[in-house]
Amino acid sequence: MTDPRLRFDPRTQFDTDRKDHDVISNALIEARDLRKTYQLGKRAAVPALRGVDISIAEGEMVAIMGPSGSGKSTLMHILGLLHAPDADGGPSPELWFEGRDMTRLSESERTRIRARRMGFVFQSFNLVPTLTARENVLLACDYAGLKGTSAQVAAEHVLRLVGLDDRGDHRPAELSGGEQQRIAAARALVNRPSLILADEPTGNLDSQRATEILELVRWFNREHGQTILLVTHDPEVGNACDRVVHMRDGLVADHGAVPVPHPIAAAPQTAIPSAA
Amino acid sequence: MKLARDLQRRPLRTTLTVLGITIGIWALVVFGSMANKINAIVDGGSTFYADKVTVAANGSGMGFGQPMDIDTVAEVEAIDGVALAVPSIGMPMEDEMSGGGLGMEYISGQVAGADHGLESYVLNMATGRDLTAADEGSYVTVLGSDIARQFGASVGDTVVLRDREFEVVGILEPTLTMPDSSAMVPLAAGQELFVDMIPAMFAQDLDPTGVVSGLTVYPETGVDPEVLAEDLRAANPSWEVMSGSDFDEAIGSATAIFNAILVGIALISLAVGGLSVINTMAMSVAERTREIGIKRAIGGSRTRIVGELVMESALIGFLGGVTGLVLGAAVAILGNELGRESGFLLFLLTPMTAITAVAFSTVLGAVAGFIPAVHAARLDPVAALRYE
Repeated sequence: MTDPRLRFDPRTQFDTDRKDHDVISNALIEARDLRKTYQLGKRAAVPALRGVDISIAEGEMVAIMGPSGSGKSTLMHILGLLHAPDADGGPSPELWFEGRDMTRLSESERTRIRARRMGFVFQSFNLVPTLTARENVLLACDYAGLKGTSAQVAAEHVLRLVGLDDRGDHRPAELSGGEQQRIAAARALVNRPSLILADEPTGNLDSQRATEILELVRWFNREHGQTILLVTHDPEVGNACDRVVHMRDGLVADHGAVPVPHPIAAAPQTAIPSAA
Repeated sequence: MKLARDLQRRPLRTTLTVLGITIGIWALVVFGSMANKINAIVDGGSTFYADKVTVAANGSGMGFGQPMDIDTVAEVEAIDGVALAVPSIGMPMEDEMSGGGLGMEYISGQVAGADHGLESYVLNMATGRDLTAADEGSYVTVLGSDIARQFGASVGDTVVLRDREFEVVGILEPTLTMPDSSAMVPLAAGQELFVDMIPAMFAQDLDPTGVVSGLTVYPETGVDPEVLAEDLRAANPSWEVMSGSDFDEAIGSATAIFNAILVGIALISLAVGGLSVINTMAMSVAERTREIGIKRAIGGSRTRIVGELVMESALIGFLGGVTGLVLGAAVAILGNELGRESGFLLFLLTPMTAITAVAFSTVLGAVAGFIPAVHAARLDPVAALRYE
């Protein structure tokens, strides 16, 4: 791993950036005034987010819950840099990730951060159907700039961790839903991103498979200190998380109890598992 | 190969698209090979005529037909700038344009070595020997490679040229141009054949040894053949004088037609093949919207998405090009094999034509795939992920 970004330690980055930008020390994500209105046709406009402030600490596993249309997916798309918040109609939005201002990045810079620092898991697995399980994982390595033997080693390692190293040569269609989701998790985790974003990751799985995936994600969160952000309808998933953020009508209704030291409190960092 | 897997998703559609390009490239290769052949013949003529001037009687066209008096040689040589005028006989092998040969076969008679080394256009022997001045008075011939094949003759055989038997003493190496379809004979023998050809009422007073059908005029060193041609024209308006530029001009229009056909075929194949690739790739992109969304979401850059799709369409173009080339080459080879009988080879498939055809189709595929690819890369990843 020659790219320094792959060895990025968010905490050191934070300490330096803190002098330049007024950022809370151990928050991986810090967002203010996030708004998003979707234009449906010419007349109808749907306000999906109406000014959301949210802070997520490093190493936290946070569930975002709320009824359909409450804006939880929209929030995740913005935090995952898939969409940009609206700049007009209110105070300028702020979005900090790993101490960097995300609001001024170009599309290619956002793509680069998604590739290297974030991992995505979707409800419907979303593996590339023509690629084998291993190639799906390697695709993420490739996008992150990791190639050759290092990529192979990383892919094998993560496939072993999700318990599918013997299924690597199978295409997604030859795998069960639970297996596909574990491959998707492997793809999300292979680059050791600091943030995993999961949109209803258990939504298409039976309860046993759902538990497996949840435990897997939890394990990575504990062992590697990866920050997990899940959007879910499932209260069981919410219960497995450190904190549940409730949304309603495009606003955060409840930031949830904070079992780990809240980022605002600037707690000592020894409690957070090492990402090394 | 992942690229090939993407093509195999819709095998029928991919095959049809490849076939669309195949047809275009096939036509390009076939017409290109024909144009190559014509161009080679013309280039040979250009080279031959570049450093000399030919003189024939008015109305003779390209050197055969009207008789000229042998005294013309002295008349021409008296003109300033003329180093040497070599009398020659040229006539078609058949009176009528014959079937397979397109009437391009001709007989040429000249005293061997009469050019005194001034001729720069070198003919090499494949087998046998060249004509010599000592052959004057005998009925021997050196055959061009195509005409030898047409006669099925080899050295030592006897062939019939305009009802007269000739012994084949040599066969030329292929030149890809006029000499390939000509039979070279000594001047005296040529003169006899020539006089025989002339209708009796005009020929009765003619002494064969006093008749030629044309002169090859070599300029003195430092004399521009084009300027000399003008001088010759001025000296005697009844002469039909042809220089290198006259040849290029006369023949250029014929070549231009072939080249225009070639360009036309290329443009049609560009339009048809290109549109079908655009269509195929647009459908592929639509079908893969969700997959493109996945790739974008997990960090695939727009450049990467465009690159993957353009590579795929370039591969379609390449496959179509290679198939078209193989089929076109088959036609060229088969056509020449059939034409071998009559001695006329219609096609000349050069490596340049082959490479150009495949490169053209590959670039065409890539360019055609670019538009849908850019469209794909600009998709909103979130919307694309929701796409069913």
